[in-house]
Amino acid sequence: MAGLGFDVLRPASPEEALRLLLHPSARLAAGGTALQLEWSKGLAEPERLIDLGGIARLRGVAAQGTFLRIGAMTRLGDLERDRDLLRGQPLLAAALATVAAPPVRALATIGGNVAGRTGCLLPALLGLDAHLEIFGSNGRRREALSDWLAQPDPDPSLIEAILLPKASGERLWTHRKTGLRAAFTPSVIGVAGLLDLHDERIAAARLAVGGGIVPAARLPGIEAMLRDRLLAEVDWAAVHAAILEAVVAPDDVFRTGGYRRRVAANALVYGLGGGLPGRRPATGPRIFPRAVSPVGESPLSRNAAGGRWHVRPDGPDKIMGRLAYLTDRREPDMLVGRILRAGIPHAGILSIDVSRAEALPGVAAVVTWRDVPGENGFGIVVQDQPALCRDKVRYVGDAVAAVAARDAETAARALELIEVDYRPLPVVGDPVAALASGAEEVHQGGNLQCRLDYARGDVEGAFEGAAHVVEAVYAMSRQMHGFMETEGGHARIEADGGLLICAGGQHGRRDRLQLSRILAMPEEKIRVVTSPTGGAFGGKDELTVQPALALLALKSGRPVRLQLDRAESVQAGIKRHPMTIRMRTACDAAGRLLAQDVDVLSDAGAYASLGPHVLETALEHACGPYVAANVRAAGRLAYTNNGVCGAFRGFGANQMTYAIECQMDRLAAVSGLDPFEIRRRNLRRPGTPGYLGQRVAPSERLAEMLAAAEADPLWSKPRGPSSDGMEIVGVGMAMNYQGNGLGSLPPDPGGGILRLAADGAIEALIGLDEMGQGLLTSVMAEVSRALGCGREEVRPVVGDTGRVPESGSTTASRGGFVVWKVAQAAAPLLRARILAEAGRLLRRETGDLLLAPGGIAGRGSNKGDLLLSFRDLAAALPPESLPEAGAGFEFPKTDYVKGNARFLFAFGATLARVAVSRLSGEVRVLDLTQHTAAGPVIDVAAYLGQIEGGGIQGLGFTLTEHADMEDGRYLAANLDGYMLPGIQDTPASMIVHALEGLDEGDPFGPRGVGEIGIGAVTPAIANAVADAIGAWPERTPIEPEWILDAMERCP
Amino acid sequence: MSDIALCRPTFRLNGEVRGLAVPAGRRLIDILRDDLGLMAAKKACGIGRCGACGVLVNDRAVNACLLMAWQLDGLEIVTPEGLDGLPEAAAIRRALIEENAFQCGYCAPGFTVALIGLLRRTPRVSEAEIRSALEGNLCRCTGYHSIIRGALAAANALESRRSGDKQ
Repeated sequence: MAGLGFDVLRPASPEEALRLLLHPSARLAAGGTALQLEWSKGLAEPERLIDLGGIARLRGVAAQGTFLRIGAMTRLGDLERDRDLLRGQPLLAAALATVAAPPVRALATIGGNVAGRTGCLLPALLGLDAHLEIFGSNGRRREALSDWLAQPDPDPSLIEAILLPKASGERLWTHRKTGLRAAFTPSVIGVAGLLDLHDERIAAARLAVGGGIVPAARLPGIEAMLRDRLLAEVDWAAVHAAILEAVVAPDDVFRTGGYRRRVAANALVYGLGGGLPGRRPATGPRIFPRAVSPVGESPLSRNAAGGRWHVRPDGPDKIMGRLAYLTDRREPDMLVGRILRAGIPHAGILSIDVSRAEALPGVAAVVTWRDVPGENGFGIVVQDQPALCRDKVRYVGDAVAAVAARDAETAARALELIEVDYRPLPVVGDPVAALASGAEEVHQGGNLQCRLDYARGDVEGAFEGAAHVVEAVYAMSRQMHGFMETEGGHARIEADGGLLICAGGQHGRRDRLQLSRILAMPEEKIRVVTSPTGGAFGGKDELTVQPALALLALKSGRPVRLQLDRAESVQAGIKRHPMTIRMRTACDAAGRLLAQDVDVLSDAGAYASLGPHVLETALEHACGPYVAANVRAAGRLAYTNNGVCGAFRGFGANQMTYAIECQMDRLAAVSGLDPFEIRRRNLRRPGTPGYLGQRVAPSERLAEMLAAAEADPLWSKPRGPSSDGMEIVGVGMAMNYQGNGLGSLPPDPGGGILRLAADGAIEALIGLDEMGQGLLTSVMAEVSRALGCGREEVRPVVGDTGRVPESGSTTASRGGFVVWKVAQAAAPLLRARILAEAGRLLRRETGDLLLAPGGIAGRGSNKGDLLLSFRDLAAALPPESLPEAGAGFEFPKTDYVKGNARFLFAFGATLARVAVSRLSGEVRVLDLTQHTAAGPVIDVAAYLGQIEGGGIQGLGFTLTEHADMEDGRYLAANLDGYMLPGIQDTPASMIVHALEGLDEGDPFGPRGVGEIGIGAVTPAIANAVADAIGAWPERTPIEPEWILDAMERCP
Repeated sequence: MSDIALCRPTFRLNGEVRGLAVPAGRRLIDILRDDLGLMAAKKACGIGRCGACGVLVNDRAVNACLLMAWQLDGLEIVTPEGLDGLPEAAAIRRALIEENAFQCGYCAPGFTVALIGLLRRTPRVSEAEIRSALEGNLCRCTGYHSIIRGALAAANALESRRSGDKQ
């Protein structure tokens, strides 16, 4: 980024614009919507920007002879709202709706879309035989768009208007843009076709492709094949074959050219009345007549919840835009921090020279490894990641230096002035290469970060005696957390010399411990504020910007703010581990599991973070919720020069669940059983020891989840070919169970304090974090329920090591239990202490008093009148006498210590109904229904939100999200290439059921629901795809090209 | 920065006329957050792909990260802070609040702006129209259904308010 200080020139006429364009570094600008993307990709900013907005000729829509003239500066959003125009131009209307998204279309112009030659409107405009009005050095001319596209203009020129011939007569048209998700997507390929018909005969045909990297062009050979034919007599198979030959479409990192050609042929042929290649199975609903829903399970909704529906306390401020996130802090003397990233995947550092950056006016501090006073390493498990690299960089996002300056521009300039001399090293690009002999070492000592092996029984013997064996390799992508608030915050030195660090996190005390090591500063001198934060999902569990913030604040002595921009967050931030899971599963003739053989290879990226625990959790779920006597499970975690991976919702369990749940459906198919029967025959039963043989908590609900899935009305919805023949609909299901808490080996403390505050509020001090999941609402619910006070009287205080005690991490589905347990343990004590103080003041026996909403009432008082409000009680007491009660405990654990084993679990079953496009191979999820059993629901809205949100993160992982890397570099730089699901990707119907309740005497309360909602989504979709097309996808995101191939393979 | 030619747009911001002298390429979102201290609009991608920076410009939702200083002259800009001035805003926000439409909330102001832009123009909306209007906004927490429920409730609230006005 340079200075953004280009000159803006505003010509009043085309002549003047053309004259200005003669300047070598001048650029025309229309709506300007592409500029940020261009500049972010490294295109140089112009010295002169020529704003075309002042030229009258370029505006307006009007009839001009036999044409409709649309001024080039007409905004797409205005065209879209011109109902009169669109009524006569349905093809244009269809195309407009596929360009970018409404807020971009409100700015973007039709001229800009055409002039860049890659615009998504081009196929439609070619199909409509659009002409351009062009002003060039030889004056004004009219030229067919197809000619203009075929022949680049040698001289500077200006598109003044787009001319559309007026339509008449009978027309058949089609338009389709295929992208990387349902909407607001880069174009993979766009097509438009238009046939003018006279008495069923094709009088004129215009077919075109284009959009993105596909050169926009008509298909004259195909048009000739169609012209003068009777529509009914067109040989569509021949047309299809000819289109495959005619379309020019290159590969890119997302899709092959071959795929683009097939989609173009399919879309044009299907859209104009021909058929589609591949399988069209004839199937109806699948009915499982035995099924009965479990008693007590109910769908969650606001209506059904009635009085259990509560508005979350932070909702109003968030929606009003008033909530102060930690990245929102601005102060007059606050410096702006930036981090210098390696930018190369693997290199030795020969030297770092910051002198020129330090000399830049406005720069207050530059820090490198020399400024790290303590241990230059962090990591939750092993401290292998440097705060600032000294002698080596191991991935593109490695932090090498950081600066703090008076403003963002100065900080950016300072980064450019830091000179780092690198000696490039061979790049270890994937885990297979990492573990090959002779591989370059990412870390001294080798690239095998850890290896886990587990075996029981006679695995080979069991395979030999098996009736059925299925084996497959499931490969999963690197998923980005995609929290909307990127990593960031602010820091300062407090008056007492202590350090205040405010940055979104998931465990303030552990962040403090890690900072204390790096800074060689006692923990008591560091205060870490971690809430509120704009989403985390595991991606803020590890340290992010805190080391740089701390070092900059310490060196400059001034407040510093620092937030990663999205591109930097993509490069530097933690991701989900890409895993390759080879799974061989055997059963007997009756479908009973005999053996499970699992081999996992996981890509740690450059540093370990929580990788070893993620791998271990994946392996803990190696048999899913099923019983198998003979098991061999091995896992390897390899260091590479890829982006660092770590915690992400599901924590390895969801990767493994994908594999095992597809295996179960495949075994069912070869055993002649339905998906429910095979699961029923193998399901864990209450009392069955855990996977490692450990004792586990009561209240297993797997049989109930299976029954709920089987009885689900989704099975009776339409299945098979869609009525238009374009899609095939399939239904699938998968089960999951998810361990809660960190496991039996690591320390896993919980705790909190309840107290009567000086203003009369019931304060709940809990060291967990509000990241969006609804911690505050959960605290209010549990504390008011346990104490008997009003919900609104509870004031949660969270995410601040200076104010709250240790509660452990806000991860691993553990927060709900911690909140419940604190309330259960501390509320009776606090109640007794409040009543004792009240009794003293009121001169009444404590036993005659009870705690009620608002304060203290007399026992037996029918009217429930308060004798004393909390506020009056608090006002009457000296601060040191305000009642308080704390609880500290270890998260419930099993006593198994030979490996890390979980004790508490939540249970679920997910159903997906999908439509697989025979045209493009894309998968749409039509319905997603999730059955869950996690004990009592603490808050209906928060529970529903966790399951729905987890569901769509799982959908994204399965269908669109891919932070792929090549040679240590991310292929997607920002949210233009990394496809988070948008609103059009979300299913038409999403239903979440909860089965509440625990076994009698179960003392463990609500189970966590943060992860259960993502766990079974991928296999449910994969099994639904298999139901539709007869083949199981073994790679995520599911590749549309693989789907097209699979449909052709299974006719 | 003295070598940079400044651009001097005049525009209405939340009802007040504002003049600025800033580099031509400075983006509206940075002007709002870093120069004017208006923090409600958020920056989450910077290239017009997520909608977190949504503001109303001449009554339409646009991305404040795509608009630069050279484009601001004469515009009527309403940030989330200025929505209180619009008659529909209170009812729409109340519906979103009551539905618990958002979780972490970082995308919420942008969605709210887009929704207010839609419902001011098209009071009677279908779910399909809501989905189309919100294609430019990303949310990572909710899976969107709570937002759709909130949007439908907002549309209903506006509808009943309008029919109430007529009676």
